[in-house]
Amino acid sequence: MTWAVKFEDVSKRYRRGGASYASMRDDLAMMGRRAIALLRRTAVESTEPFALDHISFEVGEGEAFAIIGPNGAGKTTALKLLTRISYPTGGRVRVRGRVGALIEVGSGIHPELTGRENIWLYGRIMGMSRQDIAARFDEIVDFSELSHVLDKSVKMYSSGMQLRLGFAIASHLDPDIFVVDEALAVGDAGFQAKCVDRMTHLVTEGRTLLFVSHNLSAVEAICRRGLFLLDGRVAAIGDMRNVLRRYLDWVDEKRQRLKAPGTELRGRGLVVERATIHDSSGDERYVFSTGESIEVQFHVRAQCDIPNPWFSLGINDGRPGELVLCSMLEQAERFNIRAGAHVVRCHLGPLPLGPRTYELWMSVRESRGAADLVDWSRVGAFRIRLADETEGVGGVTTPWLYGAVRVKHRWSLEPRKDILPTPSLVPAMKGSSEDMS
Amino acid sequence: MAHAMVEMIIEGGHRPALVQGLRELWAFREVIWAFAERDTRLKYKQAILGVVWALIQPLAFLAIFFVVFGRVARVSGGSVSYPAFALAALVPWFFVQTAVSFGAQSLLIDVALVRKVYFPREAPILGAVLSAGLDFGIGFGLLLILGPVLGTRVSWTALLAVPLWVILAVLASGIALTLGALNVYYRDFRYAMPLLLQLWMFASPVAYPLSAVPERWKAVYILANPLTGILDSFRRTVAEGQPPDLRFLAISAGVSCVIACGGYWVFKRMEPGFAETI
Repeated sequence: MTWAVKFEDVSKRYRRGGASYASMRDDLAMMGRRAIALLRRTAVESTEPFALDHISFEVGEGEAFAIIGPNGAGKTTALKLLTRISYPTGGRVRVRGRVGALIEVGSGIHPELTGRENIWLYGRIMGMSRQDIAARFDEIVDFSELSHVLDKSVKMYSSGMQLRLGFAIASHLDPDIFVVDEALAVGDAGFQAKCVDRMTHLVTEGRTLLFVSHNLSAVEAICRRGLFLLDGRVAAIGDMRNVLRRYLDWVDEKRQRLKAPGTELRGRGLVVERATIHDSSGDERYVFSTGESIEVQFHVRAQCDIPNPWFSLGINDGRPGELVLCSMLEQAERFNIRAGAHVVRCHLGPLPLGPRTYELWMSVRESRGAADLVDWSRVGAFRIRLADETEGVGGVTTPWLYGAVRVKHRWSLEPRKDILPTPSLVPAMKGSSEDMS
Repeated sequence: MAHAMVEMIIEGGHRPALVQGLRELWAFREVIWAFAERDTRLKYKQAILGVVWALIQPLAFLAIFFVVFGRVARVSGGSVSYPAFALAALVPWFFVQTAVSFGAQSLLIDVALVRKVYFPREAPILGAVLSAGLDFGIGFGLLLILGPVLGTRVSWTALLAVPLWVILAVLASGIALTLGALNVYYRDFRYAMPLLLQLWMFASPVAYPLSAVPERWKAVYILANPLTGILDSFRRTVAEGQPPDLRFLAISAGVSCVIACGGYWVFKRMEPGFAETI
């Protein structure tokens, strides 16, 4: 496979932390410093961090390639270098073919001009020839669904209509390499579906696509290969599913770190020093797979004798309501805690939880349940890792994004047995529908 | 894809390659036209006021000049009446003023496009200069119609206005490119521009003739201000019906070209940072 886009050891460093303009005074001062440095034969080193730190990758011709990563990882910077909106500080970007970008479209549309004038003018500014526009004009208008207001000035349009016009123009450019950056957050649901259609159409037509998005389901559905950027470096590259797994794992790990409190919990007469989670062989772990059994251990210190305390443990995924609640009240056997240090263990059977980060909560009440010894609080976090066996177009992102509880399932299709598809029924149904109308 | 796959290399540590830049500019000529057309459409959107505006400016200045320089200071119009003399220089001057002030602002006006779409960044500036050409056309029409009333001698030499306009456009482009680039990096510059343009007008032979300049300063004057030779030629060809002084014109045209090349070089050098700075 030949490449269409190639980044060779590319780095980018923004001047003074991104978009900013200086006053002339500052620059004259800087020039002075440079001149002095030149006289003393020392160099003035830029201290700005790299937005892209020596990255290399290749996108094949006709390939749908995604760049994912958290905000500020350098995704948009990479696209801006590719589309020549900004220039690399070092290394080189090689491109075979014409590049057409869909970077936050709609911004260039001029409010004083009519929709028709905007199509003609901005189509040309974005790189279409007059013949191209003439040939695709009707298509653009159809796509934008704005034929009824085409000769009204754009300032009369709603913001959604303006965005639609921009997207319609930009998406009818005819590039070899198509660059899309979060452009799908445009317009209503129906229009978004059209945009995805358009993108899929271009991909099946053999255009190269570079897609930057936080919409991971769309990324998984459209792209075969991808890149996970983190702090301007390549964290993972290759098969899209594997890259998505690495990314989701990273997101969860970060959440887990944020959610695990490091301090002990002080209650009335009882201190919970820490809560630990263990696997079935007793090793302390915080990452599990769906279906694993776990054991939660509360390391407590009682300041006095506590008869029959009532421990509860809850697991949730950050949204209101517990997914799992384990309470001592359900169990006949109770314990008396004497003053001193103890470990309270709770063994949980196979956890049917989907891949994401979970929070561990607990409380302790006194024997009759009338008062809290330890208030309901978060004591830890653990993570269920995405299993590798998931298949299908949304096999990686769907379980991560949606239902938390995982149950083994299988879909099938068969004909209905209560209605027989006999030919005699068809005219009868047709007749009845005519009666109704 | 019908067209050949051209490999493009975007190299880090960019330095301007002027020949390559000009070749690319030619490839993007359609974009320049689109910008020119858009600017013109916007300007004449309210059709009547738009055209009138192109006339009001030179006429208003003509009235002021007539009173101040013609009546009070008694500046001579040479072989023609003072109003004819003044109008023949005001029309090309206002082309330069409009082209430079719109051109230098155009990148700031099109911030959204500069941040998101690639085209050679000089395209909107050159488009603005071209669109100012229409104002010049209207002004020139006024000069042709009103001129004989005021006392110009119309002759075939008026046709030379076209090549003279080309030289003016080259000069205006060079200055608009330089100021446009500086405008992106230093916003304070915007406030200085109207003042600089005003000073430039009074430093050029718009209200007074070139002959008013002392003989020993003339050479320096012509070299330092390329407008001199062009405005003088304009006056000779359009108002007085004489051929231009080719010596002066050649010097001014040469200086204009140097300014244009210099402006383009400065612009290309600063261009890579535009999208991040603007």
